[in-house]
Amino acid sequence: MEDADSEKGQKNLIFAPFQSAVDEGFWHKLSSLKLNKLGIDESPIPITGFYAPCSHHQVPSRLTLLAESLPSEEDQEQSSSVPSATLNQGNRNRCPVPGILYNTNTLEGFQALDKKSLINTEAKKIWDDIHTGKVEESSSLLLRFIVISFAELKKWSFCYWFAFPGLVLDPPARVVSLRPASQCLSSEQAESLSAACNEWRNTSLTTGVSFFLVCIALNSHVTIRHLADLEACKNDGHKVLFGFYDPSNLPSNPGWPLRNYLAYICIRWGLEKVHFLCYRETRGFVDLGLSLIGEALISVSPEWKTRECMPKVVGWEHNKGGAKPNVISLAKAMDPTSLAISAADLNLKLMRWRALPSLNLSILSASRCLLLGAGTLGCQVARMLMAWGVRKITMLDSGKVSMSNPLRQSLYTLDDSLNGGEFKAIAAVRSLKRIFPAVEAEGIVMAIPMPGHPVPIQEEHSVLEDCGRLCDLIECHDVIFLLTDTRESRWLPTLLCSSANKITIAAALGFESFVVMRHGTGPLSVIQDLKAENLNMHNHSETNRTGRQRLGCYFCNDVVAPIDSTANRTLDQQCTVTRPGLAPIASSLAVELLVGILHHPMGIYADADFANSATDSSSENSLGILPHQIRGSLSQFSQMTLVGHASSSCTACSRTVVLEYQKRGLDFVLQAINHPMYLEDLTGLTELKNLAGSFNLDWDVETDDDEDDCVEI
Amino acid sequence: MGFGSKCEKRDEFHIAASTFADQWNKFNSSFPQFTWVPRPNPPWLHPTSQVTRSLFPSFLSQAEGYLSVENVVILPCTTSEDCCNEGDDEEGKEMLSCSDKDVFIDDDDDDSTTLVQNHDYASHHYDFHVVYNASYQVPVLYFRACYSDGQVLLLYDVEKSLPGSSAKLLTESKWTFITQDDHPYLNRPWYTLHPCGTSERMKMLFNNEPVVGQGGGVAVAEYLVSWFSVVGQVFGLQVPFEMLVSVGQS
Repeated sequence: MEDADSEKGQKNLIFAPFQSAVDEGFWHKLSSLKLNKLGIDESPIPITGFYAPCSHHQVPSRLTLLAESLPSEEDQEQSSSVPSATLNQGNRNRCPVPGILYNTNTLEGFQALDKKSLINTEAKKIWDDIHTGKVEESSSLLLRFIVISFAELKKWSFCYWFAFPGLVLDPPARVVSLRPASQCLSSEQAESLSAACNEWRNTSLTTGVSFFLVCIALNSHVTIRHLADLEACKNDGHKVLFGFYDPSNLPSNPGWPLRNYLAYICIRWGLEKVHFLCYRETRGFVDLGLSLIGEALISVSPEWKTRECMPKVVGWEHNKGGAKPNVISLAKAMDPTSLAISAADLNLKLMRWRALPSLNLSILSASRCLLLGAGTLGCQVARMLMAWGVRKITMLDSGKVSMSNPLRQSLYTLDDSLNGGEFKAIAAVRSLKRIFPAVEAEGIVMAIPMPGHPVPIQEEHSVLEDCGRLCDLIECHDVIFLLTDTRESRWLPTLLCSSANKITIAAALGFESFVVMRHGTGPLSVIQDLKAENLNMHNHSETNRTGRQRLGCYFCNDVVAPIDSTANRTLDQQCTVTRPGLAPIASSLAVELLVGILHHPMGIYADADFANSATDSSSENSLGILPHQIRGSLSQFSQMTLVGHASSSCTACSRTVVLEYQKRGLDFVLQAINHPMYLEDLTGLTELKNLAGSFNLDWDVETDDDEDDCVEI
Repeated sequence: MGFGSKCEKRDEFHIAASTFADQWNKFNSSFPQFTWVPRPNPPWLHPTSQVTRSLFPSFLSQAEGYLSVENVVILPCTTSEDCCNEGDDEEGKEMLSCSDKDVFIDDDDDDSTTLVQNHDYASHHYDFHVVYNASYQVPVLYFRACYSDGQVLLLYDVEKSLPGSSAKLLTESKWTFITQDDHPYLNRPWYTLHPCGTSERMKMLFNNEPVVGQGGGVAVAEYLVSWFSVVGQVFGLQVPFEMLVSVGQS
């Protein structure tokens, strides 16, 4: 130890302020404590902070609050005692420090806290503990700290501010010397000091004691002792360094703990010349290059030392931007909605990484889907869409949830059917949001006008309004699912989708068979499309392009116009009587079909693939083939892909019908609704039927005679 | 690698993890230490009762737990502009501006013995836990990260701040992608490197090696070192050379 350059160049000793860190777990625990136990009680809460000596030359160690810092929720009536100061005794990286938390119920309350008086009160405790000698029993009392906070639990944001009360020496302590410990010690001393420090740190009884005495004997032997042993050390004639765990990493600034330590040394021991050791470590061992040994001069007046005269106190933490509270938002880490969103996204990304590199998640999440019908099919389609990452879903239905629905219609529970039943569209959307809060779902209670269900004059206006509304809805969605339980309710949407050229997917159930299909392009847009292609794609074989036919719609294979299919039917024919497994199968296929369309480079214009053509297509599309329609039968456990081309006599998607609709608008719709035969006349179906016998279905795949119409219910 | 039944494997993992921690702590002098964290006994179990022992042996097993290294400081390689964004949530700002009033003017500022310093918010603090996954029968790395004041780093921030080579690794390698999962012992969402490709990858690593020590603790310890040498890369954590050598030799 040398005191050579002690005379000149003395500066004030400048302390590096303590810095705080609050673990996420602390806020979790505080939130739960507040909600479950404290309620509106604003009493101060004793807490335990943890710190360790600096262990990184670029980063100071921080006083940290963890979940364990708070009293446990089970603790009864223990608010007066420091809860868990002993909890982590023995953990070398968690030296316990007693603190107090003032958590207010409102931001106004937070702002209104008298910070000056709070810090003075706490400093007074330190001051008293120094004078009474309590510090010798428990040296961490020198480090008492305060946290004031306001927890905005609904937004998962927390406003908080730490104070580490520091007693201001007046006049300030002067630095005589301050150098890395390695430069101040002989090699014998250094070796002995290292051994002693490591023993202190590795003994569970002492590892959490952050203030200690380093006694260097004349023979260079170093021992570390408790503060209470100072007299004994001095009597032994040892040189004494006042050691402490230093959170600071800086080469010329000791950390905050030295502040109150000097005040203690000055008052309890009356020393004016203090040698101190700023203990810092690297990976659990003392680092004498990082640790500092210093000498400071204290020259306070005798009055300063009296217990009655409290010194000035500093210590509110300077946060980003100065003397301001810190604000932390953990919404993304704590809010279940945010967590669900990120978990769902990551899950889909995982699928992309693992199996489908071409998966386009943004197309899926951006697609606006309109589901016509919120029954067995609608519920299941909505769920599958969400599973694929579709986030914008509109459910349209006019019905209410009945007692029998929840068993098959997977978005409802019995509660939805009580008291007359909730509207399905409303209940379904509520359920979707419960499943995934980030879904942008909307419910629309509305009936779809149907041919064969004539409209009385007095209702004409509202039916026309509904038509207009449906038209607008289809216009502002990208994908329309036809999932209603009657054939005729699909006619108007099919027409509107053909006219607007929207991706349309229909699913329909028989008792044990189903059909799922994508409608072809609208008749008018195809013409434009082909023109464009002919202009752009000279080098392609034209035969293929020009010979290409539009894919059919749900009505293309029918030779009758849609009429009231529920009239004159028995109950079992009117209701959705199907094998329960059928709807989930068909719904899932409908959604998978959509995902295929969205990922196909040609989108809605894509030709139909067959199962046989899988080898060609799968190479260009990792999702596999994109069929036109899938028909399946549960009785045979079979499924096949088919193609049906658009019929020029179709009552919903033929050029004649769409042009007529575009020319006459709702008048045409009303006429079709009131007089279904009008459609057959218009499209030439009447004529066609007269030529019965020459009629031929346009199946591209051989089918046997179980190819009866399975689509009606 | 030779593994026995699941239960044995968990025990083996515990042994291997302890060996790994010892070696790491011995050879890696500039790094926080690995420790084995046993799962705390649930409060409803009386540890010495006969009933507990017979019904819930796994709760008392030391093998239930995870390998942990916490507060690993990683100084991100981003520009200083990026670094000051953390914690500046819109809501946060809103709240701060409400409280940013004269109320908070403080006379601490005039203390000449308090160092005024630029805050080192730039440092990122990572906690890593290695947990045994019984379904995949492989070790899984869980991690979380926060800024120095405790504000949590989101996945986007993590990916942004990792060394460039890691970003490349993450996008190119099919088995080191990050996902989010509940920590099996802490029951809070942590980030994790998904385990589904681990087994395959490890087979590749050990393809040319003779099968040593079927089911033995030593073999599993080597496995853990090799495994960590790959997953650690993502975060720029290098397995000490001496540990790799010791794997090569046995």
